[in-house]
Amino acid sequence: MTKNSAPTAVFEDMKPLDGTVILEVGNAQASVCLRLATSFAGKIASELGAKVVKLEPFGGDSVRYAPPFLPSGPDGERSALFKFLNAGKTTLSMPSGSAAARATVDALLSGRVDGVLLEEDSGLKASFAEHPLALVEIAGWPAGMPAITRLSEFTALALGGLLDMIGEPDRKPLRLGGHQASYSAGLSVFTALMALLAERDAGRRPPPARVSLIETAIWLNWKAIAGIDDEGKPPTRQGSQSEFQVVRCLDGWIAVVFSVTQFEKLRDLVNKPALHHEKFATREGRLTHMRELYRYLEPWFAVRTRAEVYHEAQSRGVPLGPVCTPADLITDPQNVARGFIVSLPDAPVSGARVPRLPVLWTGNIRTLTSKLQEMVVL
Amino acid sequence: MRPLANIRVVDFGQLTAGANTSAMLADLGAEVIKVESAGFMDLFRSMGNNRNTVPAWWNRSSQFRFTNRNKRGVALDAKNPDGRRVLQDLIATADVVVENFRRGVLERLGLDYASMAVRNPRIVFASISSQGETGPYRLHTSFGSTLEAMGGVAALTGYDGDKPVVSGPHVNYPDQVASLFATGMIIAALREARRTGKGALLDISQRELTSFLVGEEILAASVDAERVDLPRRGNADEAMVLQDCFLASDGRWIALTIENDIDAERCRAIVGWNEGLGDCVASWCVVRPASEAADVLSAAGLAAALVSDGASLIRDRRLAGETLIWCENGEIVKGRPYSFDDAPLNISRDAPDLGQHTREVLSEVLGLDETAIQHLAELGVTRSEPLEL
Repeated sequence: MTKNSAPTAVFEDMKPLDGTVILEVGNAQASVCLRLATSFAGKIASELGAKVVKLEPFGGDSVRYAPPFLPSGPDGERSALFKFLNAGKTTLSMPSGSAAARATVDALLSGRVDGVLLEEDSGLKASFAEHPLALVEIAGWPAGMPAITRLSEFTALALGGLLDMIGEPDRKPLRLGGHQASYSAGLSVFTALMALLAERDAGRRPPPARVSLIETAIWLNWKAIAGIDDEGKPPTRQGSQSEFQVVRCLDGWIAVVFSVTQFEKLRDLVNKPALHHEKFATREGRLTHMRELYRYLEPWFAVRTRAEVYHEAQSRGVPLGPVCTPADLITDPQNVARGFIVSLPDAPVSGARVPRLPVLWTGNIRTLTSKLQEMVVL
Repeated sequence: MRPLANIRVVDFGQLTAGANTSAMLADLGAEVIKVESAGFMDLFRSMGNNRNTVPAWWNRSSQFRFTNRNKRGVALDAKNPDGRRVLQDLIATADVVVENFRRGVLERLGLDYASMAVRNPRIVFASISSQGETGPYRLHTSFGSTLEAMGGVAALTGYDGDKPVVSGPHVNYPDQVASLFATGMIIAALREARRTGKGALLDISQRELTSFLVGEEILAASVDAERVDLPRRGNADEAMVLQDCFLASDGRWIALTIENDIDAERCRAIVGWNEGLGDCVASWCVVRPASEAADVLSAAGLAAALVSDGASLIRDRRLAGETLIWCENGEIVKGRPYSFDDAPLNISRDAPDLGQHTREVLSEVLGLDETAIQHLAELGVTRSEPLEL
């Protein structure tokens, strides 16, 4: 038997942003895709200990009414999306009218505020710029481009080229599930915020920072540019011509993932004579005969469960990935051992669970040493 | 804007998740020393078609050069006891270590956090791993796409009712976001270390980060049996009236989001009322060139855009903002996804050749004299050509 260390908290004593106050300033005119980015960045700050004050635009944050929904609870309290993003924040509502809104902001600024996350708003940006704050502006379009064209997360992925990279070459471009355009921009916002706070620590007044959804999507998609060949042809979605395929197994799906040097291990795992044919011996050969290769691989997976495949593959060092649904993640042994899924306090439904911040932060060497001694070695 | 000036980073980072984290720290002013060896180079050096076709191919990979600019690079063999001692001395002078080796590698070399923090308690040690430092899967191996499957994103990605889809080797989405998240966490930990004199081990699991990025779906599934196994829905979004890609007459695709009934009315005024909205848009787009169709839809206040590819991205420099940097020699390298007013990103160094700055770092940072440097060279510790050519 092995013993798991199951950290129950991310931090041991003080959190790194304890005492820090961050304002999230919503703009009623801004697209919801900016709100999700702002809220995601604020959520990370909140989990690191910051007091995050969320100023909802007049009429309330529209994300309160956005799916997915919890099965019960009062209207405006049922959005799982809103709950996930905003648990632990202090929420305030902006009054109607720009003068009243500015007065509210001024009143907040008369107290302690270290950072402001602002949805694109040139008027308010100017008034914040008067204060020595860490200010991050969240926008759809890059600076200097006319932002009159409406943007959604989906069109940001299109403009950033990420849509072009996913799916089958002879079918539509495909988006990644969830809110990846906004959340990745939210990660950019959070990192920029940390950089500004560090600049302020050094006794300098930090310049305003700016994050746009389109730029973040392009930045994520840099391999589409690095991979342009000598004839100017960029890589594009490969679908069933890719080395990485998702195949059926008994109880779901497996992502078949392997490097050039891992093919032999995969071949030995599946152990079928046809896989030893010389046309599969090199990467070039495999790319030319990809469909045929998978025709030989697939039957082996079809009669095994995800768990069987995963553990057999890992024992041989092949990085196959069982496709886990969000529900699967809640009971996943690794997530349980690391205390990754935690209860959501003040949820309108009992049993509500969310992922914690994806970092375990150990500042105490003695605790760490005992943790390492307890660690599981399989 | 150099908030990390005077911060030294020892960079064991590989590929994107590790090496790009250090690059982002360099862009904020940190001094980054990338550590490789003749027997263990950054795997990006071996990618692309240069292998054995151009001289010193290991220094020419575009993926490596995109990622590792603004760093110095040393070649030091950690398997050699003298090399290991030098690395321990280097970490003792550093503020940050970034690593994304398989778990156990640094422990075996005596270069892990527990060993190094005894000597340098203020070190911030960012361990970016597949599934974390602890737990039954800690030693498991993965690529980005493995984690997309295991982290929950693949289950939500795919054509209508069809199988799950991963972003694949040309995107490796979990690796990209890992470097963004890790950079933010490292700065937070550095601020703390400056304040308290105490560093930290940051145990960052890429799988956990991937799952965190679909947190609302985990929450919904935790309390709603109907959301336990949802079918994939292509490009549709539950919150939108219509969202999909449509083919134009020139073979290009247009992405369109119809958010609400007002959008739907505006769209109907353009595409007509004959069939379902999606069918009408499809019939309307397929007889027009893509740019004309996107212009008409955008002018009506709708979120519509051409689907870009890598080639079109480098044609529109305004759109790229600071995410790509065009160097004086014509080379393009990676920029950053955020910008600071009046403080443009400065790329002051090309990515290092293998071991390019070994001598410089041994002498300037560690104060080694010529005899000691020569001794390491004779032992093969500082060899700067790959062992396997």
